[in-house]
Amino acid sequence: MRKLSAIVLLVVAALVLSVLALPAAAQDEGGPGEGGIIIESNFGGDIATLNPIIISDASSSAVAGFLYPGIIGLDPETQNAAPNVAGALATGWEYDETGTVLTIYLRDDAFWNDGTPITAADYLYAAEAIKSGETDSARTYVFDSIESIEAPDDYTVVVTFKEFNCRSFNDVNDIPVVPAHIFSEVFETYADMNEDVDYNLNPTVTFGPFAFGEYRPAEQVSLVADQSYPDTILGYVSPAGWIYKNVADQTVEIELLLAGEINVVAGVTPERQQDMRDNADIQTFDYPANGYTYMGFNLADPTNPQDGLDEDGNPIDQGNHPLFGDVRVRQAIAMGVDVASMVDATLFGEGVQIATNAIPTSWAYDDSIEPWPFDPEAAAALLEEAGWIDEDGDGVRECRGCLYAEEGAPAEFELLTNAGNTTRERIGEIIQSQLADLGIKVNFNAIDFNILVQTLLGQEFDAIIIGWSLGLPDDPDGTAFYGPENDLVGSGFNFVSMNNEELNRLYNEAAHVPGCDQDARAELYIEANRLLRNELPYLYLYSANAQYAVRAEVEGFDPFPSFLYWNIDAWRVISAE
Amino acid sequence: MLKYTVRRLIQGIPTFFGITVLSYMLMLAAPGNPIELLTFDPNISVEAREKLAIQAGLNDPWPLQYLTWLIGNDWRPVDMNANGVLEEGEYGVRQGILRGDFGRSFFYKRAAITVIGDRIPATLELGVAALITSLVLGIPIGVIAAIRRGGIFDNFSRVMAVVFNAVPSFWLGIMMILFFGSILGLLPMNGRCGTVLVGGCPPLYARLEYLIMPTFVLAAGGIAGYSRYMRTSMLETISRDYIRTAHAKGLPGRTVWFKHAARNAMIPIATFLGPALTGLWGGAVITERVFGWPGVGRLAVEAVTQRDYPVVMAIVILGAVSTIIGYIVSDILYALIDPRIRFS
Repeated sequence: MRKLSAIVLLVVAALVLSVLALPAAAQDEGGPGEGGIIIESNFGGDIATLNPIIISDASSSAVAGFLYPGIIGLDPETQNAAPNVAGALATGWEYDETGTVLTIYLRDDAFWNDGTPITAADYLYAAEAIKSGETDSARTYVFDSIESIEAPDDYTVVVTFKEFNCRSFNDVNDIPVVPAHIFSEVFETYADMNEDVDYNLNPTVTFGPFAFGEYRPAEQVSLVADQSYPDTILGYVSPAGWIYKNVADQTVEIELLLAGEINVVAGVTPERQQDMRDNADIQTFDYPANGYTYMGFNLADPTNPQDGLDEDGNPIDQGNHPLFGDVRVRQAIAMGVDVASMVDATLFGEGVQIATNAIPTSWAYDDSIEPWPFDPEAAAALLEEAGWIDEDGDGVRECRGCLYAEEGAPAEFELLTNAGNTTRERIGEIIQSQLADLGIKVNFNAIDFNILVQTLLGQEFDAIIIGWSLGLPDDPDGTAFYGPENDLVGSGFNFVSMNNEELNRLYNEAAHVPGCDQDARAELYIEANRLLRNELPYLYLYSANAQYAVRAEVEGFDPFPSFLYWNIDAWRVISAE
Repeated sequence: MLKYTVRRLIQGIPTFFGITVLSYMLMLAAPGNPIELLTFDPNISVEAREKLAIQAGLNDPWPLQYLTWLIGNDWRPVDMNANGVLEEGEYGVRQGILRGDFGRSFFYKRAAITVIGDRIPATLELGVAALITSLVLGIPIGVIAAIRRGGIFDNFSRVMAVVFNAVPSFWLGIMMILFFGSILGLLPMNGRCGTVLVGGCPPLYARLEYLIMPTFVLAAGGIAGYSRYMRTSMLETISRDYIRTAHAKGLPGRTVWFKHAARNAMIPIATFLGPALTGLWGGAVITERVFGWPGVGRLAVEAVTQRDYPVVMAIVILGAVSTIIGYIVSDILYALIDPRIRFS
């Protein structure tokens, strides 16, 4: 009997031990480079180059982001510039009393993976290359605000700006850090970067959780774990590597994820987001995308496009758009379009209506600024007040004492968007139908993106549906879109010809707040946004939800909005075995 | 024959130049330009954009742009750093296509010919596989349909030919991906090779499964087309006297159909072969996109959308040369196969 009890005890003990041992095996921490391969689909087209000085496309930037340090890091949680961020160099910075000299202090414990220390010279090399104008880098604009960059010692960078402007700070981070000792060897002159140099697609000396693996044109780019990277969370880089796999179709992209052939999709389309949330094999993270969609109104006469300012900076008479020149018409349109239903109908509810150009994640967002309510009756009354009345009963209003159109002219305009973007095409149809109910005839056309860009910059349009993707760190300034100095026919981005003195004053003041205090600046931007909400150079529509979808077997997935991979060195793909 | 070939090639030269002039004009006439697209970013100043346009030569009049593309600009002073001043010794660096320089891709930032060269093996792989498949399947189907004229096989192949000709290849591709890739999990859904960290693309025999679906989609139209041509040609041939004679001589049916009739019926097919080479480039545009196949077709679509002029023109040349050569090959084949036709 005692023997039997002993056997039973042993069996029970063995069972308990085995049960305890199971989770231990499942929680095996792995080791350096043993965390599997992260495979992300790349729907954005093949990479062009991995030389950060000349990169201008999003796919290349996504890959190069793993290979080179930034001068000043962004805190993934706040999305603001911060000292001592993993993968970046700045340990701190300070302005002089004039606000035009920025001194950046660099860490001295960062090394390229060939053992060479990363110093100020690596930043200066890239700055000089961009400044030379010999490369076809599009970043020469940084020297519109930067006067000079110097390095008093290996770990200090002094940036002198032409004038004090809080917006100039972001230009500092648009200059990359590259291994100068290698680049100066590989590229005899800066102009050589434009040539067919193998190094542009085969960088050997890098700094980041991954080093370059291989590039298969139009198929994939692979990066392999680089254990020399010092800023890891676990003390080592867990994944064996990261692959950016080209996928030409978004339907196929999701099928590949479901089949486990890839394990990350960084931009799930709105119609598939709920499917992904409901799927037990997939973990998701939803966030408001860093961008918005809008309907832009041409406020000036589209038959005679003029720049906003003359050479001396004086306003040029640009005429008025027959319909949109009158703010009451724009406000009536804002009340005549049901944006909330539009979000449901076109984005399956995966988006938020916005009132201004500040999206909910912006530091200049204020939820007390509300979008225009959907109120067709108030809209109709406002149109009547503005002198747009349907006297002949044909369903389209005519100008009867309106401000800028000829007497009797119908309330009619052309609305454009880019063909192939089905969401925008659907929005155009909704606006067309809802404004028809209001007595405004909309001729809606979806056209080739190239033609759209040309028409847009040429300022020959009436209204347009398009979107802006915003950069990081967040910059709420809207001078590029609404400043008269950027109202340049054929090239400026203030193609709606907005020129509002109060708005210009607010932007100018916000850019020159002493010490660039963010709270003080935010107050001014919020005031500017309130003005934009009422003046409506754009009818701000929505910010769509973005979604990261990652296979359930990937451990460590813990993103912030727009920062999917901030902790990728600690990710691990648990194998099915 | 050599004389004939050389003469035809020389005749092809004006055609080639005609194609390039027209294509260049059409391409530049299309709205938008690559710099506008690459710099559609409010951060980038007007001056920076202007500078890039000058460096790319896009502000030059089109005849000068064409001339630069053709014979280069290393013989004339060019404001390479776009500072508005022509410094001493500041000459262009382009050599022109006549000296083998196809220009530099605006988007890929390397020689257009390198960008295309990277993609040609994939397109050839798919194109040749599709051509062989369409011939190997299309010709016997046509022959059998003609022999069994009016029978079940004939009617079935006719219906299938209409279906395969009518179904858009992007739809057929997506359906195959969903069925064989996603639902059954039998075939890979995307790409040309497996996803591996390093080690490149394995040899063709080790990744045939990637070729199956795109080949079938690209060949579908060809199978339908060749089977119909072959059926018509075969019907015409088997009504000839010599076939009746062969039957009358007591030759077995199989020998008559395949040795005497089919061989002669294949002559018209040879004329389709040349243009088929060009057709493969054209057809590959859609198939490559659907299957994420890293070939020239997909590149062509991207280059046109991005207004990447040097890449577009290099692909036009590739298409023009293969068309011209395709037709010459077709004529030569015709003369070789049919003894009644002589080179003259």
